[in-house]
Amino acid sequence: MITKELDRAGFPVALISAMYPVAEQVGASRIVKGVSIPHPCGDPSLPAEIDAQLRQEIVETALKALQSEVKAPTVFLPHMAVSA
Amino acid sequence: MRLEMAEFPVTDIRLGSAFRYYSGKLEVDGEELKNLVLQDKRIEEAWLEVVVSGEKVRVTGIRDVVEPRVKVDGKGQVFPGILGPVAPVGEGRTHRLSGMAVVVAAEYEGTIRAGLGVQRSAILDMWGPGAEASRFSSLVGLVLSLRLVQGLSELEAHTVIQQAEFQVAKRLAEVTVGLKPKRVETFDLTKVKPKLPRVLFIQGCLTDSHHVHSGVSYYGLPIRDSLATVVHPNEFFDGAFAINTTRCIGYFPITWDWQNHPLVLGLYREHGKRLNFAGVILERIRFETFQGKEVIAQNTAQLASNLGADAALVTWLGSGNAFVDVMLTVQACERRGIKTALVTYEYGGKEGIDSPLLYYVPEADAVVSTGSRDRWIDLPPAEKVVGPYKEIKILSYPGAPVASARGSLTLDARDMIVGGVDNWGRQSWACRAY
Repeated sequence: MITKELDRAGFPVALISAMYPVAEQVGASRIVKGVSIPHPCGDPSLPAEIDAQLRQEIVETALKALQSEVKAPTVFLPHMAVSA
Repeated sequence: MRLEMAEFPVTDIRLGSAFRYYSGKLEVDGEELKNLVLQDKRIEEAWLEVVVSGEKVRVTGIRDVVEPRVKVDGKGQVFPGILGPVAPVGEGRTHRLSGMAVVVAAEYEGTIRAGLGVQRSAILDMWGPGAEASRFSSLVGLVLSLRLVQGLSELEAHTVIQQAEFQVAKRLAEVTVGLKPKRVETFDLTKVKPKLPRVLFIQGCLTDSHHVHSGVSYYGLPIRDSLATVVHPNEFFDGAFAINTTRCIGYFPITWDWQNHPLVLGLYREHGKRLNFAGVILERIRFETFQGKEVIAQNTAQLASNLGADAALVTWLGSGNAFVDVMLTVQACERRGIKTALVTYEYGGKEGIDSPLLYYVPEADAVVSTGSRDRWIDLPPAEKVVGPYKEIKILSYPGAPVASARGSLTLDARDMIVGGVDNWGRQSWACRAY
């Protein structure tokens, strides 16, 4: 809902969410698949250096999403396999 | 598995000096019950009060509500794994005191200060709009109030409260041993009519795996990250399911609801008439990744398919993202050719015009609403306050402002009223389209 208001105000916005199908249904524009509800932007169960790579990949995917033109809710998937 | 449930209706409770039951009147030895409870030294003070429908009474600090039951024949005892060993239940004969409940209320300040695990209690009005909102206001209530010693952890406080309420409930039901019940209902699924559809009941069950008590227990064991499992409906009636008594919230069914599950009873009463009741799947929900939600939905539908279900009645408990698991379950069942109907409460906001549900799937084409959880409610001032708190917090966070429990209250959701959300469709609400 917040992302939709930001969109309306003219700010490009990307939402990182583990519940990406819910974000799609609500109508968020750019959606980045996050890891898990309690930790969307990383995975504390991974070794620190792998987690750092994962975090970087998620943030870079979000930045790429921000620069993309979209017409409908679009999901962007980080390249690194996101742990279940 | 055959269970006979012998019913002893209660219309009046008197606090006296002996235990007696005759023509709907229950006399209770209050001193004996207090002494029973005070054997646990973690309870500093205990007292009993009776509340009846229509009285301008507000009960505070409620942690659970339970119907008195006792097993008089068959294996095990009521509340297995909690009051006694883990022995299978659901067979034999059980006595129940219907129309009444033990309402346990406790003063307890938790050690968890924020988040989902923070302790909460609920209120109950026995009259007016608050009474209309809760299924428990129509019962005669024996309120057991407790004051716990300082510094107990959440799990310990829970254990103390639960042991006290269940012991009292069982002791009350024992008054009926040897007496003739008003009626007996038999629960037995062995006879089936092959031509009727096999209808399964799927109980989605939000549990909080990070918390010391996950919220729902089976034979005393809190359910955590479990895959779906099959249970027998008779186990509900003998108290195999219980709750976390430090977190009483309107949208979490409590022990009384599990004992008197309206959908389990409804399916049982149609068994052999319109359908064959094919049993119960207990589905843990609120997985924290979308993949987890897809897996549990798939797992549940697979199990339903293995059980030969033609149709499934699906419901849930809790709030938030757990509903995604529920909708995916409906979808997974439908895709396997199992017709589903979903029973759920709605959100909808203060005016009822916001989105009613968090998530949708096109396969959910038969949804029964049990009413809105979000509608604001105004409660008039009470004439009397029962229970441990004379001042209450409307919001649960630490340092939240307190209000007089006696005064008028405006609640922005039904969460604070015990039974304030009708998860499983116990009440006879009707809907109207505008």
